[in-house]
Amino acid sequence: MSDDALDRVPAVLEVRELCVRYGEVTAVDDVSLQVRRGEMLALLGPSGSGKSTLLHSVAGFQPPSSGEVWLKGRRVATHEQAEPPEHRDVAVVFQSYALWPHLSALDNVAYPIRRRGVGRRLARDEALHILSRLRVSHLARRRPAELSGGEQQRVGLARALARQASLYLFDEPTAHLDTHVRGVFLDELVVRREATGAGGLYATHDAEEALGLADRVALLDAGQLVQVGTPQQVYTEPVDVWAARLTGPASVVEGTVVATKGDRCVVKVHDTVINVEGRDTAPGPDRVSLLVRPGWAHFGGELPGRLRAVWFRGPHSDHLVDTGQGEVLIREPGPPRHAVGDEVTWTLSRTWPMREAYSRGDVGGRGSVIRPFTPASSPGPSEHRPR
Amino acid sequence: MQSRVAGLGQRFGVLAVGGIVGLLVVLPVLRLGYVVWTEGAASLDEVIAQGGLGRAVLNTVLLAGSVTVVAVPLGTLAALGLRRADVPARRWWRFAMLLPVLVPQFVLGYSWTQAYGRAGFTDVALGLPWPSVLGPWGVWAVLVVNTVPLAYLFAAIGLATRAEPNLERAARASGARPVSVLLDVTLPLLRPSIAAASVLTFALTMESFAIPQVMGTPAGFTTVTTTIYRDLSLGSDPRSFVEALALSLLLVALTLLVVVPADLWLGPRLRVTRVADPEGALTLNPRGQGGRWVAAGLGTYLFLGVVVPLVALLAASVTPAVGVSPSPRNWTLDNFRFVVNSRSIDALGRSMTLALMAATLLTVLGGCVAVLERRRAGRAMSSLVTITLVLPGSTLAVAMLITYGRWLGGTLTLILLAYLAKLWAFAHRPISGALDRFPPEQLQAARASGAGPLTAVRTVALRPLAPALLGAWLICFVTALHEVTMSSLLYGPGSDTLAVVALNTQELGRIGPTAALSLLLTLVMLAPAVPAWLAIRWLRTPRRLHPRRVRGAIHVG
Repeated sequence: MSDDALDRVPAVLEVRELCVRYGEVTAVDDVSLQVRRGEMLALLGPSGSGKSTLLHSVAGFQPPSSGEVWLKGRRVATHEQAEPPEHRDVAVVFQSYALWPHLSALDNVAYPIRRRGVGRRLARDEALHILSRLRVSHLARRRPAELSGGEQQRVGLARALARQASLYLFDEPTAHLDTHVRGVFLDELVVRREATGAGGLYATHDAEEALGLADRVALLDAGQLVQVGTPQQVYTEPVDVWAARLTGPASVVEGTVVATKGDRCVVKVHDTVINVEGRDTAPGPDRVSLLVRPGWAHFGGELPGRLRAVWFRGPHSDHLVDTGQGEVLIREPGPPRHAVGDEVTWTLSRTWPMREAYSRGDVGGRGSVIRPFTPASSPGPSEHRPR
Repeated sequence: MQSRVAGLGQRFGVLAVGGIVGLLVVLPVLRLGYVVWTEGAASLDEVIAQGGLGRAVLNTVLLAGSVTVVAVPLGTLAALGLRRADVPARRWWRFAMLLPVLVPQFVLGYSWTQAYGRAGFTDVALGLPWPSVLGPWGVWAVLVVNTVPLAYLFAAIGLATRAEPNLERAARASGARPVSVLLDVTLPLLRPSIAAASVLTFALTMESFAIPQVMGTPAGFTTVTTTIYRDLSLGSDPRSFVEALALSLLLVALTLLVVVPADLWLGPRLRVTRVADPEGALTLNPRGQGGRWVAAGLGTYLFLGVVVPLVALLAASVTPAVGVSPSPRNWTLDNFRFVVNSRSIDALGRSMTLALMAATLLTVLGGCVAVLERRRAGRAMSSLVTITLVLPGSTLAVAMLITYGRWLGGTLTLILLAYLAKLWAFAHRPISGALDRFPPEQLQAARASGAGPLTAVRTVALRPLAPALLGAWLICFVTALHEVTMSSLLYGPGSDTLAVVALNTQELGRIGPTAALSLLLTLVMLAPAVPAWLAIRWLRTPRRLHPRRVRGAIHVG
């Protein structure tokens, strides 16, 4: 099937203006998103951002307060009527895998097959086959209590695969999927894509995992969708400082965008004008927050600063430089270049101007060394996000 | 040096508590066996050959079996039903389910005779008498009503701790319909809880005395416990004494015959409990209609089982004589005036004193066993204490009587000792359960922060354990206050409790005064129970520090 033809068939999952309220609390607030055929969409957000609730609405455990859920072009949930989970074409991998303690690993995996109406013997054969694809067929007769965390994950995934669903939901699996497990699962998505089309929705609070695993990433905060894009987009062009910190280590310096042309723009920091890689959607005289990812700043150049801290990380060293306009993390290969307290010069090779200056709470991204962001005096209006 | 002192202290604690268990439980039961063996050997054959005895034993076993078979499924059903989100006023129903055990067994049984018997409430009001309320069917029905809450509690706790919502969601997401989820996942997970509820229901029915005595004896329906009572309180010849001893031993033997194998099977299964999932109740069908049916079923059970009988009891207590219609113009307080005399007031005082002392001592002793069972030397002790839970009250009372009766016969002290022996497990279980949930790292963290062992317990452990301690106290208090099985066998002149006074009045056939005493017996419980219950609720409500009270606190959104 060509990509054009794929575009015309309905998405595996479509969520339209979904709201879920528990009493006074709005857990999911007007979220619309799609999972296309063969696509893995990651839901990235801090804990309490509504990821699990959104997933439970899609699976059928939680009816929407308003809005709709569509699976493969069929409406399965509105605020009036919600199809029960067993009638939806979805499989779920739970946070702590939720393996039934009274059944063996094999019977856990055979369970969804049995529910399809397959006889016990055939169901067990099929379950064993799935377990062997995940290289855990030797564990078939064990009870969940006798399995390690990683083994439980494989059995849990095998049970989801046994469902042969069009949509696979991952509710923050406690451990990362290891490379082999991920490979088997992505193979399955490809196979099913050719057959009937399948997709995955993966909730996580771990940026590294989301960016590495998904075709697209949706950022969720307090039940609202903040940004949807490819992993590269959300990493290099986050809509605001919050999104930048959520998706990885981020430094911010204050500056202005003087001019922009194609994929390059001219920015002014500290009265020094530099030509860097990066786009700007609306250049102007306002001061903006310039995003600096670890590889985007280097020692040597026109800008002054003082080294505040240094961390030797093995293959590279991280240097925290106080620029007077904010602190910047400079990552250079090899051992530390300077000592703490040294006056240094530095420059930018790339940046991403952000006019949104929300501080939505402490994200504390992994490896982030950045202090809480102080909002600029006059945050500009948003262009990325209709709120 | 310090650790050696602590070790000595522990060893002393185990010895002391072990000694108390030995004196209160082991010695009396051994003595009972010894006396039956030596003194009764000759007359035992005669006793066993007697016709009525086989009947009583058979009645007891059939009753226990048939009550268990009905009450446990009903209780489980109630627990499953109350998990539905759409049951109106769900919190209220959860509390109401415990009402049938808050009414003393004697009162429940007696109120049923007043409600459904001949010339009873339904007979007078609707012309609908149920004559067999006196006899096996009535006894069976009231015992079912009385034991359903126990099965409900076991199933509800099992659901909360074992049937994690995600396990059921996983089944739904695997394509199972709700019925399949129930059969394939929920009930198998509940199996140990249901089995434990069955064992306990069976044991409690075997030893039940008040209900068969009030409802069975007048119709000639005898059980082992009522026969023991008859032999000891009415019989005067030595043969009836030997018969009571033999029956006591037989009762404990029959109970253990069921309990011990079940406990061996259950023990390892009950120990592996999952930690309760904080997500709480599963709400798969928030908009279903089933909730109303659940509420209707529970309402019927409580209305017919408890409300109508208690209303009938109230009517009987304000009616001057049998046959007088209980309409407002006939109402009188004569019955209350009649029963509030020096004897019943003294008895009430004794009941309260006994219950207060027993509950307080039991909380201390139960706490000791709960702490000591965590050491290797104390483990056997906790099993022993648990066995007293199923040791029939009649057996224990008879054993106490022949062991300590020579010195303490007819005194309140003997009754108190019997209560301590019988109710120890009641206090031990909740405290032990709370200790299981209490993470030991918290105490270690307190010690590592510079607190001594006692300070650590006082500052870190006492507050989270307080609801369990108060709960244990409350359970023991209410049970001791309502107890009649042992006190009716052990009381002497000047040591009768209020429950015994009520039982004696009922035996004399005085309906109005018995009803009035029954109401009193039910209501006096509220005096200390309501404050204690409110305190437990207050302790359980999580309180947050107001952000403004914490200076410099960072509000993390």
